[in-house]
Amino acid sequence: MSERSVLNCSELPEHAFDGRAPIWWGNLLLLAIESTMFGIVIACYFYFHQNFSYWPPPRNVPPTTYDTAPDLLAPTSNVILLLLSCVPMYLLDRAARAGKIKAVRIAIVVSIIFGAAAVALRCFEFRDIHFKWDANAYGSIVWAVLSLHFAHLITGTLETAVLGAYVFVRGLDAKHRVDLTVTAVYWYWIVGVWIPLYAILYWGPRLG
Amino acid sequence: MINERSKPGKAHIETATLDVERDRAELERSWETRPGFIGWLTTTNHKSIAIRYIVTAFIFFLFGGILAALMRIQLARPRSEFLGPDAYDQVFTVHGSTMMFLFAVPIMTALGLYFVPLMVGTRNVAFPKLNAFGYYVYLTGGILLYLGLLSNTGPDTGWFSYVPLSGPDFAPGKRVDIWAQMITFTEIAALVAAVEIIVTAFKMRAPGMSLNRIPLFVWAMVVTAFMIIFAMPAIMLASSMLATDRLTGVSTHFFNPAEGGDALLWQHLFWFFGHPEVYIIFIPGTGIVSTLIVTFARRIAFGYTALVLSLISTGFIGFGLWVHHMFATPLPQLGQSFFTGASIMIAIPSGVQIFCWIATLWLGKRLELKTPLLFVLGFVFTFVIGGLTGVMLGSAPLDLQVHDTFFVVAHLHYVLIGGAIFPLFGALYYWFPKWTGRLMNERLGKLNFWLMLIGFHLTFFPMHQLGIQGMPRRVYTYLPETGWGALNLLASIGAAVLTAGVIAFLINVFWSRRHGAPAGDNPWNSDTLEWATSSPPPSYNFLYIPTVRNRYPVWTVEPDTPVVAGLRTDVREALVTHTITAAPDHRYELPNSSIWPLVLAAATAVTFIGVIFTAWAIPIGAALTFIALVGWFWPNSEPAALEAERHRSLPTGDGLSLEQQT
Amino acid sequence: MFFQDLSGAHSSVEPATPQAGRIANLWWVMFYVSVAVLALVTAALIYAVFRRRSAREQTAPVDLSPNTNRERKATRAAAVALAVTIAILFVLLGLSFTTGRAVSFLSNESPLEIKAVGHRWWWEFQYVDPVPSRGFITANELRLPQGRQIVLTLTSNDVIHSFWAPNLMGKKDLIPGQESRLIFRPEKQGVFRGQCAEFCGFQHAQMGFLVLVESDGDFSDWYNHESQQAVQPSNDSEKRGRQVFLSSTCVMCHTIGGTPANSNIGPPLTHLASRTSIAAATLTNSRENLAKWVTDSQKIKPGNRMPPNVLGPENLDDLLNYLTSLK
Repeated sequence: MSERSVLNCSELPEHAFDGRAPIWWGNLLLLAIESTMFGIVIACYFYFHQNFSYWPPPRNVPPTTYDTAPDLLAPTSNVILLLLSCVPMYLLDRAARAGKIKAVRIAIVVSIIFGAAAVALRCFEFRDIHFKWDANAYGSIVWAVLSLHFAHLITGTLETAVLGAYVFVRGLDAKHRVDLTVTAVYWYWIVGVWIPLYAILYWGPRLG
Repeated sequence: MINERSKPGKAHIETATLDVERDRAELERSWETRPGFIGWLTTTNHKSIAIRYIVTAFIFFLFGGILAALMRIQLARPRSEFLGPDAYDQVFTVHGSTMMFLFAVPIMTALGLYFVPLMVGTRNVAFPKLNAFGYYVYLTGGILLYLGLLSNTGPDTGWFSYVPLSGPDFAPGKRVDIWAQMITFTEIAALVAAVEIIVTAFKMRAPGMSLNRIPLFVWAMVVTAFMIIFAMPAIMLASSMLATDRLTGVSTHFFNPAEGGDALLWQHLFWFFGHPEVYIIFIPGTGIVSTLIVTFARRIAFGYTALVLSLISTGFIGFGLWVHHMFATPLPQLGQSFFTGASIMIAIPSGVQIFCWIATLWLGKRLELKTPLLFVLGFVFTFVIGGLTGVMLGSAPLDLQVHDTFFVVAHLHYVLIGGAIFPLFGALYYWFPKWTGRLMNERLGKLNFWLMLIGFHLTFFPMHQLGIQGMPRRVYTYLPETGWGALNLLASIGAAVLTAGVIAFLINVFWSRRHGAPAGDNPWNSDTLEWATSSPPPSYNFLYIPTVRNRYPVWTVEPDTPVVAGLRTDVREALVTHTITAAPDHRYELPNSSIWPLVLAAATAVTFIGVIFTAWAIPIGAALTFIALVGWFWPNSEPAALEAERHRSLPTGDGLSLEQQT
Repeated sequence: MFFQDLSGAHSSVEPATPQAGRIANLWWVMFYVSVAVLALVTAALIYAVFRRRSAREQTAPVDLSPNTNRERKATRAAAVALAVTIAILFVLLGLSFTTGRAVSFLSNESPLEIKAVGHRWWWEFQYVDPVPSRGFITANELRLPQGRQIVLTLTSNDVIHSFWAPNLMGKKDLIPGQESRLIFRPEKQGVFRGQCAEFCGFQHAQMGFLVLVESDGDFSDWYNHESQQAVQPSNDSEKRGRQVFLSSTCVMCHTIGGTPANSNIGPPLTHLASRTSIAAATLTNSRENLAKWVTDSQKIKPGNRMPPNVLGPENLDDLLNYLTSLK
């Protein structure tokens, strides 16, 4: 037991937010992976476009040929809903940073409701695609985009729900405050990545 | 005791008295893995998990080698009847899939998982439970593939599985589906390892180890990890699309030209992953080479900055080459020209690395030709040949002659065996003493090296000529009149010599574990931090986290170099530092052993194996996965005292902790 | 089986066309440059390792920022090596571009147009004629007139294949649902061989084809002959043989022009007897080989799509008489 030079780290905090936290980085890398995947899926969407004279391909139910661009009501409602859902998420993030457990509880419940509504509206979006996944390559790729994003809607909502359950049952400790802010980032990404996908899938055929 | 003064919330240098015995005893207790089977299943120790990866991957290497030997026996003579086409097609498919997915990538990421935490001076990877999960998923994928092969359901459409041959029309049964899901498992494991390596290397470095001071091996692993992040999604998507095309009841049309799908799309997706994949295998090899050369030349790396920039530029350019696998398809010539240009230009950063390495050796003080250095020299010679044939293949018009021939088989083995496996064997000899506390036998090592070097060149050099002389790839036999028999026989003899080399290695491993000379902490007098702790390292890696003042901490350590004190020893705790400067930032609790990684891996297995047979596996598997994730993330209840202790710094406006800006 | 020595018949360094010749030139340039580079790098490596080091140098302490003469020399050498490397690569890149343009250049003259369709595991060659009735389909054997520009359009009926005759040109893939193209001008007469170069299943290894480059006159004779329907049987045995053919499963897969047999699953047999090889350039075209192939092709090419045929000895004899008459 002799004296020596040390770097005393005992005063350092046990948690940190944002880019200081490993979990934030882990989430960021997950988002990088998923963004890459969506980028590739959309590249496939455009790739298939060159195999068709009309896009989306016309649906032939003789004697008529139907225009098959997907209906806009459900997806547009969902996009608006998703954009609005960022508000309770943002409030949840603020409350988590400040450690205000009551505000956290309210914001979490509202966020879960928005998430569940988005999941439900997505089911209507599936219905309003005029092809099933096995009709042609267009149907396959549109269902692929919708399904992959649907998986994130479900995962994001469930993640918020489980954290919500924890907050109600066990209260708000420092580690879970950080987790809540990371969940918010995930949710912002779910909404953000959907905007260009929505535009390409639903407006692309009408404008191109 | 630690003196407590100065501003709360920051780290500060001071003089203190450390109770080494007490700290060691407490660390041993809080970091121990329970003995026995349950302890083995639930460990979150990055070193145990990495060793598992390495041993498993090496066993797959041996399996892949046996498959290669079967191929060489069949091809040694024209019209041999040793293997019929069905068996041969499964053998070459599983050989390639094993070597690429079950051996090369996992063993390189495993070296990263073992050594990145040690080299950056921390106690574990950033997400220890995730790390354990990654291994179980990898193992599942490997077992799935071999159960397929052994039950005559092995995939038989090549490791690259082109459509339409692998689609529902021409590949009946479950063979290709087994392949597609093996991909899913191994890619998840690779992505997990990549996340671990990046976050650990960015956030958990020892104080003072700024980004420009991290070892070249860590740089190589970080670049590799980023490549994994951006390359793997392409093949996960492609294999899933293939799986849904093939699944009755789903029948998507991604690759069906009759419904607007596209056979070439598969090739784009596969090679967008596939080309970075070979760099994912090669770049860790360059990290190993840099490490070994610095050690054995006993001097600092020549051109550290140039070497780092070469790694990064190889990583970037590697994503711009994939079409060179498709020069024989009807793609527009302008596109082909771009990819020819990129394919030839990527030789530049590789060349920079070779020159820096040779310069380091030349400037080295005293070179002892120990086995690891021999493998490095073998690497340089062999990889340069492979790189030169790579430039040839990058040229579209020349590629049109040698594409899909044994010339490519020669090239790929020259760059993969030369560029990655020789460094790997050098690494195994180099780090064996760190893992086991004993050095490997030098004479057996030299025998191993020479047998492998000679055997390798005897096997693969003739294949260049075979390709020029018209022998295509993936052929189970050939006509005697072609005249290919003599070189094929030579290649098969070479394969026997190469096999003898691998056997010499195995003998060396088993002998040295018992009788190898005791190694001590740093038998090679190396400069990276894994050598600043015992061999093998304790479960907590370092008794006290070191601090670092330059790139070569072990060579330049002084008695007054501070060590980190004040981390908790009663729970598993590590230090998180600033991404760029590695200034200390906060203390980070790591989990104990846990069964949940295994449970989540089981749920994943049910999902992705089930989907081979029915699409219902997705919702069922998703539900199981959800349950496993809740179990994973729902914290155990803690003893009240610890909980009180932990939450003492819970800020409710007292200005501590979370609002700190460093 | 048919040639004493095929080794010159599929070699990319014995070019028979200007296109293959340009590629072969590029190959040789790159080869010799590579040999030189390898020699230099190896020499540098050996020198670096075995250079004599003084005792003082060997025991010097670690220098974190060395500034010796030797260090500066190394920096200069590395810079020169890098510059030379970049220069060489750019030269090779330029050569590659010019070669690429040369081999895909389509001259103004009217080419001989042939369409190749890949099947598992045989090659369908459609000779396209401006007069449609003169065009014809043959299999596994491509005859070409010396000196004429050939445009080969490629597609596939099933999976991806690749057409590769190394003496003539680089390879091109045959992709279902798409068309690709090869352009070359055979300038040497002779027999060349090619094989499928994209893995296509069980018999990928034995999906070969022959290319016979002939004089203009010989080619025209062959062409005119191929345009015609199949030869009529000239004796009773051949007549019976044709009957055996038409009443067996043969007609489900094979075409014989001028008979009711008209299927595209297997190669057309209209002029079978005038081909040099059978079974996609795997066997010499002889009566004995034909007998083996017809009765049990699975033994020769396991997994191929032709089932074994059990025929009584008389029926087999008649059938063979008929088939060998189809010149």
